[in-house]
Amino acid sequence: MVFNSLEFFLFLFIVFILYWFPFRKNVKIQNIFLLIASYMFYGWWDYRFLSLILVSTTVDYFVGIKIDTRTNALQRKLWLWVSVIFNVGLLGFFKYYNFFVDSWVDMVSLLGYDIKSTWTLKVILPVGISFYTFQTMSYSFDIYYKKLKPTKDYLSFAAFVSFFPQLVAGPIERASNLLSQIINKREFSYKQSVGGLKLILWGLFKKVVIADALAPIVDDIFANYTTYPASTLVLGVTLFSFQVYGDFSGYSDIAIGTAKLFGIELKSNFKFPSFSRNVAEYWQRWHVSLSTWFRHYVYIPLGGSRVSKLKSVRNIIIIFLISGFWHGANWTFIFWGAFHALAYIPVFLMGRNTIYKNSVVGENSLFPSLIEIGQVLLTFSIITFSRIFFRSESITDAFAFIKRICFHFTYETYNHPMGYRMIDYYILITLFVLYEYRIRKDERSPFKFKSKIIRFIAYTIVVLGMLLFYDSNVDRSFIYFQF
Amino acid sequence: MKRLFLKTSLYVILILISLEVIVRILHLAKDSPTRYIDEHKVEKWVPNQEGYSVTGNRRQNFSKFYINNSGYNSYREFTPLKEKVEIALVGDSFIEGFHQNYYNSIGKKIENRLEGVEVYEYGYAGYDLADQLHLIYAYKNQFDLIDHVILGFKFENDLTRGEYHVMQDRMHLESPLYRNARKIKLLVYIQNIGVLDPVRQLVSQLMSFGKPKTIISEEIVIKESIKAKHLSYIENFKSLIEIYGFDKKRFVFLLDTNTTPQIFLNYLENNDFKYIDTFRVLSKSSKPTTLIYDRHWNNHGRSIIATLIVDYLTSL
Repeated sequence: MVFNSLEFFLFLFIVFILYWFPFRKNVKIQNIFLLIASYMFYGWWDYRFLSLILVSTTVDYFVGIKIDTRTNALQRKLWLWVSVIFNVGLLGFFKYYNFFVDSWVDMVSLLGYDIKSTWTLKVILPVGISFYTFQTMSYSFDIYYKKLKPTKDYLSFAAFVSFFPQLVAGPIERASNLLSQIINKREFSYKQSVGGLKLILWGLFKKVVIADALAPIVDDIFANYTTYPASTLVLGVTLFSFQVYGDFSGYSDIAIGTAKLFGIELKSNFKFPSFSRNVAEYWQRWHVSLSTWFRHYVYIPLGGSRVSKLKSVRNIIIIFLISGFWHGANWTFIFWGAFHALAYIPVFLMGRNTIYKNSVVGENSLFPSLIEIGQVLLTFSIITFSRIFFRSESITDAFAFIKRICFHFTYETYNHPMGYRMIDYYILITLFVLYEYRIRKDERSPFKFKSKIIRFIAYTIVVLGMLLFYDSNVDRSFIYFQF
Repeated sequence: MKRLFLKTSLYVILILISLEVIVRILHLAKDSPTRYIDEHKVEKWVPNQEGYSVTGNRRQNFSKFYINNSGYNSYREFTPLKEKVEIALVGDSFIEGFHQNYYNSIGKKIENRLEGVEVYEYGYAGYDLADQLHLIYAYKNQFDLIDHVILGFKFENDLTRGEYHVMQDRMHLESPLYRNARKIKLLVYIQNIGVLDPVRQLVSQLMSFGKPKTIISEEIVIKESIKAKHLSYIENFKSLIEIYGFDKKRFVFLLDTNTTPQIFLNYLENNDFKYIDTFRVLSKSSKPTTLIYDRHWNNHGRSIIATLIVDYLTSL
């Protein structure tokens, strides 16, 4: 059941009614209902993998209690390792097993030994495994670092792990934020619900109009890159930047908006990353929940930036490589992570990695300064370049793509694979960027207009945009489901 | 909660009204002419209607149609006389040509090439061979005066029945419910762009819920059914020819040999039925011959077909 489907909206409506009417009075019953709804939501894809969520939930529930009850540091650490090994093992088997076997075979063959890979298995990647395993691990980590007390309410904990709006693609929530809201009684708030509906509408727009409309173009260019001139390849990867942003941030907006309907506030996952002024700012704005996770549970335990410069650089490399590998079992993602590390390190060494932490481009003016425009364009170009690795099928394809851009620079007009007018898409992207710039200060209020009439016009234009660019033939699943 | 439902409903209604206005102003939805059954039980459009045919989300194809006194989309009236040379094009939506401006149709293109000739386009979406032959049979006096009759033909679609009867399914579209629904342009628009498809799929899934599914080996079914289907279609063809007649001297099929089974082509050749092959010329074209959204011929495709027909007629 994907967010942009009729089934989901019917499901959401029914769950919303039942949640706020028959089950409203008792928070425990409300949580049991939420758990059942979340399991139904997940089971729609493949009910067999519900067992994985259940096991992961149970392991971390008991590990949390064990860590808390042990006073001995070694024992606490041992229990933490139980959680880490179990969750990473789960991830390792389902996501990385074949990658390691194939890489081993390739390495041995490089040494001159020809062995056939007979150990590879037909393993289906369970949807959302990278997200919920990280979420449950964060619970154990927080208890280990004494930032959180374990819950004794198993059902509420299970509802926290499987909370359907963010189960399959985040935001990856920390227990300190989400679990506390699930345990405590929620009250219906008109303002919160309206805010949720607005975010759902804006998220759908980003998915249907930006991501889905650009998908056929991007797919065509990346699939046939050997036949296209460099100008088309540049266009393809630039549009992919918008596609992946529309897709993932659209998903996050719908997730956050849906959670609001149930009286729950999730953390923001995207804060207009396209307007970042350097790579460090980009990582404070793109997939924030994952960056925060890595910062709290990998970077800081390794010493973060409180160690020597050399060690800090090592730590940066480590988290970017892990972050790349988290995205998928392919060398393309590892190169993508490495590229980001290389782009981040100079910013870090110059001490400019936190200078834009509390401001946005054009902070105190209507328009950005020329310097800011230059910074944004440079950062966008670097990020877009890195996405060649992210989108290519293999590392060989990625380098061939780059080589073609660098050494075969020719220009040719690109025609849409289905014959549509390309100018429609260029206008669409331009208007989208301008509108995002207009709302850049608050990612949670996409329709922040004082005038009710202007707000109404904005809603109408958004729905009209969805109709004008709706394509019933496009695969409607979200890109980040594969991770 | 009450406030949320009320305000949301109000916003939804206002947005839908605004969209209806926008769709009308931008003319994003197609106009649908009214159909009827005439005194000869021939299904056709109500005469003297005009409007615009629209295809694509963003009105990528926009063309005017005009229904003449005979009930077909054409710039001219059909008045065959012994003294004149006339050609009739009979067929489905490809001949009907709602995807083109009516004054730029295949018929008009033929007339531009053959001076003094009048081309009558009896095109109607969904016409199969039974419809076509019944039409010619019902209007025998008129068709007897026409010098050449070209029948647009698709083997897979046009031979599903061996005798003509009024297609009630199509006429249901003229029920008050459908006619009123068509007045809501937003509904017409979202239906055309496929927004309603998930609703239909969901309804059919719910309807078939709990019903046992028959699993048959696809390969066996395909092999056996194709052969049986082809044979039954040929039987239907024979039946239609027998019931409604066929003037082999004046009548000729316009078909695509690439999608027509060889067994049927052999049958036509062995029984002196003439045909014009569209595949040969269309496949040679370096430019696209069909529209973006469907397989109907675009302007270039129609020019090629017109040239093909002219070449055939001049070679006689």
